[in-house]
Amino acid sequence: MTQSPTLSRRSASAPTPPRKSRRRGADARAGYTFLLPWLLGFIALTVGPMISSLYLSFTNYNLFDAPKWIGFDNYVTLFQDERFLQSVGVTMNYVIFGTPLKLAAALAIAMLLNSKRKGQGFYRSAFYAPSLIGASVSIAIVWKAMFGDSGPVDQGLSFFGINLGGWVGNPNMTMGMMILLTVWQFGAPMVIFLAGLKQIPADLYEAASMDGAGPVRKFLNITWPMLSPVIFFNLLMETIHAFQIFASAYIISNGEGGPAGSTLFYTLYLYLRGFSDFRMGYASAMAWLLVIVVGIITLIFFKTSKSWVHYSGDAK
Amino acid sequence: MIDRRKFLTTVALGTASAAFLSACGQSSSSGQTGSADNPVTITYTWWGNDDRAERTRKAIALFESKNPDIKVNGNFSDFAGYWQKRATEAAGGGLPDVMQWDLSYLRDYGQRNQLLDLGTVKINTDAFEKSLLPSGQIRGKTYGIPTSTNAFAVYYDPAKLASLGIAEPDGSWNYKEFNAFLAEVGAKGNGTLFGGTDYTGIWWNFNIWLRQNNIQAFTEDGKLGFSKDDLKKWWNLTADLRGTGAIVGEDKATQLLPKSPFGSNVTATEVTWDNFMAGYLADSGAKELKLVPVPSDDPDNLGLFLKPSMLMVASAKTKYKDAAARFIDFMVNDPEVGQIFKTSRGVPASKTQRDGTTFEGTDKLVVDYEKSIEKYLKDAPEPPIVGFGTLESTFKRVTQDLNYGKLTVDGAADAWFKEAEDLIKQNA
Repeated sequence: MTQSPTLSRRSASAPTPPRKSRRRGADARAGYTFLLPWLLGFIALTVGPMISSLYLSFTNYNLFDAPKWIGFDNYVTLFQDERFLQSVGVTMNYVIFGTPLKLAAALAIAMLLNSKRKGQGFYRSAFYAPSLIGASVSIAIVWKAMFGDSGPVDQGLSFFGINLGGWVGNPNMTMGMMILLTVWQFGAPMVIFLAGLKQIPADLYEAASMDGAGPVRKFLNITWPMLSPVIFFNLLMETIHAFQIFASAYIISNGEGGPAGSTLFYTLYLYLRGFSDFRMGYASAMAWLLVIVVGIITLIFFKTSKSWVHYSGDAK
Repeated sequence: MIDRRKFLTTVALGTASAAFLSACGQSSSSGQTGSADNPVTITYTWWGNDDRAERTRKAIALFESKNPDIKVNGNFSDFAGYWQKRATEAAGGGLPDVMQWDLSYLRDYGQRNQLLDLGTVKINTDAFEKSLLPSGQIRGKTYGIPTSTNAFAVYYDPAKLASLGIAEPDGSWNYKEFNAFLAEVGAKGNGTLFGGTDYTGIWWNFNIWLRQNNIQAFTEDGKLGFSKDDLKKWWNLTADLRGTGAIVGEDKATQLLPKSPFGSNVTATEVTWDNFMAGYLADSGAKELKLVPVPSDDPDNLGLFLKPSMLMVASAKTKYKDAAARFIDFMVNDPEVGQIFKTSRGVPASKTQRDGTTFEGTDKLVVDYEKSIEKYLKDAPEPPIVGFGTLESTFKRVTQDLNYGKLTVDGAADAWFKEAEDLIKQNA
């Protein structure tokens, strides 16, 4: 995600509160000047296309002819489109099961790696490695081979008497395969968790030990609340990220969302509608609907965060 | 620690911003020409496997040696990705100068003024069958020149049939007999060898069946010429075979992609175009594959036709019309190009090229097959309706869902018709 470095940098370098307004004006000018290259790119490459896609979402546009204004037709048609509804179902499944599992894995590994042991640097790099290559095409191909008929996974399970056959061709198993792929790429949230864990003062744990608290108690009463902003941040990022899954689904299903539509993720269907069927207006409507839905979910997260996310300086 | 204000002010906005950019290109009216010292460079793109890439590179090298004033920059991809790339390029006004093309997409691009009217440039079509050329024409304009023809056929592997003790078919069969044949292979193949893939999943096979029943697939005004009941009848043909050894399961077939089950030695037969021969031989490693006609309930009407297996087209916006035309002319007419491709593009459409090519072994089988069905051949189909590529892939997908048991035949017919009617309405 491109947002994460921006976020962490801004929060890390929390500047001192501004004192003089004159200084502030000069600072702002300098700031915007430095921002300019990025800002221009942002406006030309992100905001511009977004506005044009918003317009296109109200049109019938096939790439070749001029867009034809059709009002809300695309949005209405979406909800009568069975494949669209299927893609929503598939994506929700992935987000709801994949994201918490991935975060749980990331947190668990981060806690293991937080202890002082020899060779921790090596382990940290090793556990992070899958995330570096994870989003790539090659891994999706490897995954496909691993979960095929008589692939390592099938053979491994058969050894224990579980005969599922290949996962790739079985519509009931492909979602499990996709979720495993995302869980395996826990590196990015893990690194952030690790940084968060390092910030928790060790004396809190020492005091808790003195009072006779066990590991579960310490986790629930110290780690979880102290880490809650980081957990919140990771949850938000990973949820948004999960909604955008595309590349791995595209490779594993040969760009078709099969078998039987079981990997027809939202963005994949959007892509097929746009670039295979030349229905760019329809695809734009899908893109905007996704932006709105993700926006609403983000808002809900922020609203509920008040009850479980604790920041330093908050009155408890 | 992280403090609330700094954190909350940074709002994370997740975007699925699909950048739908459109741009306009400029076209120049006169084609630029080059010289041997200062050659022009045209771009050419095609779909296909490594085998075709190798052959195409040879053909390009030959063209460049004969035409020192033109350089050709070649580029290729697989079939599905090919059309997604072309769509993006067309939107940006940057289609390659010359392209290998498929009948399914000729209207989409031709009617939308993306392709050059080849009637305005010099390409020799004297050596072509007059009945074949209209398949590259829309409303009196020639957008594509067929490189070669292909016809539908049933492939089988004689060695596999012999190992099961099954007699080789002679191709005079109706659907019931064909089904019985598939079932026999499935029964004797015992889970390791299947009869074939579900032949009702291929649009063109359905088209042939419609022709056998004297039904037109599309009407003149771009509507569907058949009814939902016709489609249901078609998909019911293999209803009893699905889930048995007669048809390879979709779960197996999916995993073999991009290879076909037949090319992977999982099935004994395959119903498809006759120019896939070279590809199947390479994929399967079989010593020999044979071709027989498709089944028909009317022995006098096999519904078969010669289709341009691929066409050569040029971009409407090419700056090098003359060079593009010379390259197309060379690719479709030159006998040496025929020698390079043999039947891997199909049987050469131009008589000059066909006569200049020596067909041996399996290439001869393909040529002989097309000769043997000559008396059954009817006119080549018109370029299908706009958006046909989508209908073709939907047809396959819906049949896959049928085989997974996710849809009934009625549900499948409803799903396909909804997509088709939607599409026809979109493009009206």
